[in-house]
Amino acid sequence: MLQQIPYRAGEFARDVPRRLRSYRARTDDEALLIHALGGLTTLLTFVLFFQSSKWTVIPLLGFVAVTAVGWRRQQAEVAKGLTFLTTIATVSILALIIGFLLWESKDIVEHMGLGLLTKAEEPLWGASNEGQIYSLTPMMMGTALTTLIATAIAAPLGIAGAIFISEMAPTRVREVVKPGIELMAGIPSITYGFIGLTILNQYFYAEFRTPTIGNYFAAGIMIGLMALPTVVTVSEDAISTVPESMKSGSLAMGSTEWQTTKSVTMPAALSGVSAGVLLGVGRAMGETMAATVMLSHTKGFPSPAFDVFSNYGETLTTVIAFEGGSASGLQLSALFAGGVVLFFTVMVLSIASQWVEWRMQQKLGGEK
Amino acid sequence: MSNATETELRAGHSTLGRQVALPVLGLAFLTFLATWATTFQWIDETRTVLGMTVLTLFGVALLLMAAGVAGIGVLSRFGFLDTTPSPTAGLPVGIVFGTLWAFIGMAVSLQYIGNTIVYWGPIAFVLGAVGLLTATLPREDIGSTVPSAVLLAVLGGLIVAGVLDATWVYEAEWTGAIFPGSELIPLLVSVATLLGVWSAGKAKEGFGAQGREVGAFYIIGTVVFSMLSVLALLIWFIVKNGLDTFLTGASLTGGHLNVPFASISFPFIEVPFVTNVTGSLFVETPGVMPAVVGTLWLVFGAVLFAVPLGVGAAVFLTEYADQGRFTQVVEVATNGLWSTPSIVFGLFGLAFLVPRISGGNSIFVGQLVLGFMLLPLVLITSWESIKAVPDEYRDASAALGVSKWQTIRSVVIPAAMPGTITGVILGVGRIAGETAPLLLVFGGAPYPSKSPNVVGQFSFSTEPPFITNQALLEPASALPYQLYATITAGVFPRPEIYSNQEFGWGTALVLLLVVLGLYAIGVASRLYFRRKLHYE
Amino acid sequence: MSSNTVDTDQMDSQLTTSGETAEDIEDAWSDYQFQGEAKLSVEDLDVYYGDEQAIQSVSMNIPEESVTALIGPSGCGKSTFLRCLNRMNDRISSARVEGSVEFDGENIYGGRTNLVELRKRIGMVFQAPNPFPKSIKDNISYGPRKHGDLETGLLPSLLGRDDTAEEMDLVERCLKQAALWDEVNDRLDDNALGLSGGQQQRLCIARCLAVDPDVILMDEPASALDPIATAKIEDLIEQLAEEYTVVVVTHNMQQAARISDQTAVFLTGGELVEYDDTEKIFENPESQRVDDYITGKFG
Repeated sequence: MLQQIPYRAGEFARDVPRRLRSYRARTDDEALLIHALGGLTTLLTFVLFFQSSKWTVIPLLGFVAVTAVGWRRQQAEVAKGLTFLTTIATVSILALIIGFLLWESKDIVEHMGLGLLTKAEEPLWGASNEGQIYSLTPMMMGTALTTLIATAIAAPLGIAGAIFISEMAPTRVREVVKPGIELMAGIPSITYGFIGLTILNQYFYAEFRTPTIGNYFAAGIMIGLMALPTVVTVSEDAISTVPESMKSGSLAMGSTEWQTTKSVTMPAALSGVSAGVLLGVGRAMGETMAATVMLSHTKGFPSPAFDVFSNYGETLTTVIAFEGGSASGLQLSALFAGGVVLFFTVMVLSIASQWVEWRMQQKLGGEK
Repeated sequence: MSNATETELRAGHSTLGRQVALPVLGLAFLTFLATWATTFQWIDETRTVLGMTVLTLFGVALLLMAAGVAGIGVLSRFGFLDTTPSPTAGLPVGIVFGTLWAFIGMAVSLQYIGNTIVYWGPIAFVLGAVGLLTATLPREDIGSTVPSAVLLAVLGGLIVAGVLDATWVYEAEWTGAIFPGSELIPLLVSVATLLGVWSAGKAKEGFGAQGREVGAFYIIGTVVFSMLSVLALLIWFIVKNGLDTFLTGASLTGGHLNVPFASISFPFIEVPFVTNVTGSLFVETPGVMPAVVGTLWLVFGAVLFAVPLGVGAAVFLTEYADQGRFTQVVEVATNGLWSTPSIVFGLFGLAFLVPRISGGNSIFVGQLVLGFMLLPLVLITSWESIKAVPDEYRDASAALGVSKWQTIRSVVIPAAMPGTITGVILGVGRIAGETAPLLLVFGGAPYPSKSPNVVGQFSFSTEPPFITNQALLEPASALPYQLYATITAGVFPRPEIYSNQEFGWGTALVLLLVVLGLYAIGVASRLYFRRKLHYE
Repeated sequence: MSSNTVDTDQMDSQLTTSGETAEDIEDAWSDYQFQGEAKLSVEDLDVYYGDEQAIQSVSMNIPEESVTALIGPSGCGKSTFLRCLNRMNDRISSARVEGSVEFDGENIYGGRTNLVELRKRIGMVFQAPNPFPKSIKDNISYGPRKHGDLETGLLPSLLGRDDTAEEMDLVERCLKQAALWDEVNDRLDDNALGLSGGQQQRLCIARCLAVDPDVILMDEPASALDPIATAKIEDLIEQLAEEYTVVVVTHNMQQAARISDQTAVFLTGGELVEYDDTEKIFENPESQRVDDYITGKFG
């Protein structure tokens, strides 16, 4: 294995000139010129835009001109170049997001050090006699609590819903329920938040005498309801990719439908279903608006930690949404650091779910 | 069915079991519905029916269920019923009962003995073990009826005896909140009825594999039914609360439809809430027009930005790029973008775009940020649909001597269009309701008095950047942002017409109509294209 | 739903379209006598997919402990017919079945049939091998485990009802019966999806045997396999006929001639044209259409 790495690298290095030569051979001089000019103007546009130069528009116009001329003379080559540029643009957006999040959170990391993620004593947030202190710990705790509650609701209900739709429901019921659940995924989160604020929060405040209007529990329930459609649709997709022949095989041996679901279909779809749950967790974690309007924006640690009815209420997303519009300096930098934590957690979940799904395709012999 | 031809091939469970199980099931479903009606306060828990309060009635129902379920189990065990039980109810069932009993042990000992693990730990453990063993050791007909009957009977008994009633309050050690019986009892009862449904469902089919199937079906069916009801309730809340606001001053023929470029106007449906501005003192009914216009501009800009990029990248990845590392990286990046929380996009816009474009919140930055969010979805859906175009089409086209790009343009892209259009519509539905990034890069005054006038604001100059549009560089309102602004602003500027909440519900309804309309079109077009593919 | 009465109109119209007189058809197979008891007897079976009729008024008796082959061109309804015998057609929501199928004298389309019990006693092997994505051992013990005949694991071993030894015996017996034991006995815990196609199909047969059925239905069990694997499956089918009633669908006439004791020929439109001893069908069929089909004039 290890010896192979330099070998492969060498292979790749030898490959580059070959590719270049073959590219050169396949492309005539005019197309080459257009590619070069197109690439150059794009790069210049980006660099000038990055510098906030008012001259950005000049290379942009140049790019448009090159494209227009090229389109008339070398349509196929220009089309290929343009589609390549769009691909690069997509990847660079992600790279830019990562870069800017890290760059903007640099100040607070220098200022707070590791305390940014671990400091658990007062003061936690804002300027005080100890200077400017911004600790993300209470928000991480809040995100963990709401995500846990949301997952406790969305995962079992979502899986049950997926099983019901794909294995139990008669065709007619399925044809109504499935698009219905997809429609539910479309309800804007601010709407959920508004309902949660006016109905759920009031209910808990009036009947359960919560210390404030708004608590992690109510917000978690709402977020769970919002993540539910994601879990249902992704899991249902996974369950329905299990080949019918496998189910028939089990039924033909005299197992009941439920035994088939439990012992053949679900184990085969397990990785797809867990990918669905992971995606749902990601959605719940990144959910902003419902939590922003429902929580109290008081930062602190409930005691004991699982007291989800306490007067504290702030998550990573809500603090960004609530304070982002007016923050500056170190506080803004701290919000960006919150964004970094959020982004990388969700990214890990996303990559994990993709990996799990890839495993499932391998396991079922690549058939879809 | 006790005639002589009865064999194993005929369903082999007795009618007596069925006759007891069916009423228990009916009672359990009714009680389940009633508990939720009580929680939603459609039924007042202090109301008396048949001389008992609703809560006492719940208790009686639980006792009846317990008796029925336990009766079937015991009769079956001693051979009076023709059933096909397995030797044991199984470990999963045991774990469920064990956990339930452990929790009961913990809650009770926490309340009456003290908040120390030395006390509640052993009690919870012992009760949990007893629960586990009583469910798993006996034969299935006992193991899956008697334990749930005991739980039902304990809860029902406590309620009927008046130990638990509407005035009883659970004051937990671990939280400042309190749990009054009027709210807690319906919840506990509804969980208990699920147990009853499960046991009775199993008993109805005579236990065994088929009993377990029916038990699972009833439990999952009930859960899914409740889930759908909750989601339907959400929509109903919005419609019920928003409709009054929405229809203020509305009439079927009061408005005018002006035909452009001709001075003709027809009477038309008038909905002032949708067509009026929000913050002006001169309109009779404040409306959400500026927000509607803002949303339209946002969506328009985002689509204009994301669709060419997404489709272009999909074409490159399927038609030009070698399938390997590079496409894999793009795929991971795209899925990453798709799952990136919306607020993070807002932060990015705030750091990268705002200082470079407008120096403050603006429509243009909002359009770009929403475009970034739409991009991965457009890419994923058009990628999928281009991949689904059969290679035969490409081969057939190439065999006719048509160049690669001509093939892509005239064969591949048209064939992939339906899927892409559907994806775009669904994506637009998502970004039209998106709020979080707008807070950071877009939103302006909470109650705008005019709609953004983008079309009329283009101006040209000899200085770079030559073309400017002031309206695009100013903040505005959009429907979801309007709802947020209404919630946080607290007081509506003209309380004599709408309260803050009334205006909010109205806005929520308009937003819901826009977003669900887009989704419905997306889902319908997908069904349409799918049918067309399959049957033509 | 199901009716046992003969719809004479339908019968007539079907006969006129087939181009032969009623006597020809009747003579061809209705008086076919065989040795031994009838395990399955089908009477006036009609199957519809939506409005389309897939099986037209088929009646036949299938003798026990023998191999019955169903042959015919593709789309003639032979697989549909096979799937009626253990009611797998119930899975297809548009399928509708009329008529009766008696299994040991009991109509399986009568009311309140216990499908689980039925399919335990009438096993099925499918066209494409469909092992579960589990270990070879678990594939075999799946059926008995689901029927509560085998119990292994934590709880049964705590209760002293552990059947691990029985399980191993069963696995060995079934794999030997399916002529697979020698090839896999050293890797019983490997995933069954790692076996070759022919091995997978024999595993599916072994899995079916583990439930100890009376009848085994096979739907073109060798069509997805290479000649060597096919030969193994054919040997296996002949051996199974000593203990079980085997009904096998095939589109390969040589295969039917090699392995079966009696053969039923279905022709387009889902009608049973002739049913007789295999030798007779292949050497001297009564019906001209069967002769044409066998000699390759159409099909």
